[in-house]
Amino acid sequence: MRLVIARCSVDYAGRLTAHLPLATRLLMVKADGCVAIHADGGAYKPLNWMNAPNRLIESDGVWTVTSPKGETLTITIEEVLHDTAHDLGVDPGLQKDGVEAHLQELLAANCEAIAQGLVLVRREFPTDIGPVDLLCRDADGTAVAIEVKRRGEIDGVEQLTRYLERLDRDPTLRGVRGIFVAQSIKPQAKVLAASRDIDCVEVDYDELRGIESNVLRLF
Amino acid sequence: MKFRCERDVLVDGLSTATRAVSSRGGALPVLSGLRVHLEGDQLRLTGSDLDLTITVDLTVAGDTDGEVVIPAKLAVDIVKALEPGAVLFETEGDEAKISGGRSEFSVNLIPAEEFPQLTAPSAESATIDAAEFADGLRQVVSAASNDDSRPILTGVLLAPEGTGLRLVSTDSYRLAVRDLPGATLLREGQTVLVPSRALNEVVRALGTAEKLSVVLDEREASFRVDGVRLTTRLIDGAFPNYRGLIPQSQPNRLVIGRGPLIDAVRRVKLMAREATPVRLTMREGSVELVAITQDIGQAHEELDAHYSGAELTVAFNPEFLLTGLEVTPGDEVSLETVDSLKPALLRSTESADFLYLLMPVRVS
Repeated sequence: MRLVIARCSVDYAGRLTAHLPLATRLLMVKADGCVAIHADGGAYKPLNWMNAPNRLIESDGVWTVTSPKGETLTITIEEVLHDTAHDLGVDPGLQKDGVEAHLQELLAANCEAIAQGLVLVRREFPTDIGPVDLLCRDADGTAVAIEVKRRGEIDGVEQLTRYLERLDRDPTLRGVRGIFVAQSIKPQAKVLAASRDIDCVEVDYDELRGIESNVLRLF
Repeated sequence: MKFRCERDVLVDGLSTATRAVSSRGGALPVLSGLRVHLEGDQLRLTGSDLDLTITVDLTVAGDTDGEVVIPAKLAVDIVKALEPGAVLFETEGDEAKISGGRSEFSVNLIPAEEFPQLTAPSAESATIDAAEFADGLRQVVSAASNDDSRPILTGVLLAPEGTGLRLVSTDSYRLAVRDLPGATLLREGQTVLVPSRALNEVVRALGTAEKLSVVLDEREASFRVDGVRLTTRLIDGAFPNYRGLIPQSQPNRLVIGRGPLIDAVRRVKLMAREATPVRLTMREGSVELVAITQDIGQAHEELDAHYSGAELTVAFNPEFLLTGLEVTPGDEVSLETVDSLKPALLRSTESADFLYLLMPVRVS
């Protein structure tokens, strides 16, 4: 990752033409060849950018980035204020929300907290549209696909429905049923799940972690 | 099959039987339908999800006997939407014609042979006072659990107690116990665990009936009132030992008007968002109710009450407290406590037949 802070102007020519007048900006050149020009504001969107693959030619005071589609980004640099490069290595990818990932881990270690007799087959069981959180077998040997969320909403039920449809194509898993697990599940999601024969189970995160809950029980 | 029936009578019958029809569709699509069986002038409507079966018998003007299965919800919607007056129901091949006034509907039938053969328990029947039983059920079913992952807690325990019947339910946060003295339904030592969903339907079907006929066998229970019969599978398993949970003596006792306390809890509950408890601070002469929700605000109310014991603050889930107060009979209730973490005992000061045990919520 190369980071350059420079006073520069930028001209883009391609699907349209655009011009950024002279100002101080951050130029990012990523290891895969992406070039992005940022102002000092906004969380993520650059002022202008050129996706990889492309070709960067640096000459005296001018960077020219060209793409195979014939687009050109011309950065005219008046003054370089900072220029560094760092090797960031391979990115591990976006992690799920901490609680959700931990819930999945806790439930994988204690499937009976979801339903009696469940035995874990595999966490993150792969399907061709993405991995289902937990694949288990119930006491009768039926495959059970489990989607774990922190908050159970309709989207989660839809996601599990898609996984079930894919898993049911596998003859070794045919007849697979679904369980939607969350700390709390919205009533609409429960109705949708019930209409699709998907069971809903609400779990207590603190209880799974062995932390004494404020909600006391008689037994 | 062909018969004629008054719209309102048919709507009642179809709606009642449809309450047992599976909303899930599930493995047996035929269960989304109602079986309609006509013999002479006797029409029998049956809906079932295999756990609960509701059969309604109606007297109609029968013309041609027969048996078909019609889509339940659609049939209810159609008959309900017709003009008041007589409804004609007639089948022709795979279709049913439902007509009333100048409206006529043709509905595709579901193959009747796929409808499961349902049997009712064959044991001896007992008769019980309908109003008292309904009253008892209303008091306990709300404390049963809705969580299917713990099926035993979704039922109501029916057990003999002295010379009467005891109804017990718990979701592990609260326990409701109602005694019906003199009601004999079970053999000595016999206990059954009946799904609370089925008992809710029994309460609904009882209406103003005077007597309820009950048949219990090893696996099923059947309740018959007027022309309606509900048959439910029993829940298999051991009910928690609830007797050990009921405290024998509590040092602190609050006595207060039930109505004013219900009203106050309802008001204060407005500020108890997302599982926020309501705190009750009990001291001589009064009880103070407080609910605080971070970033939203707080509610505070003080009520006159009789209190004996040490000053104490106990917090409760407001829904559970309100449910307990609503089902406790009489104008005045007592709330007996040990400390802020032990179960509190709610009951009427006028009757010993009902008690509601409620776990507090821990607050800092």
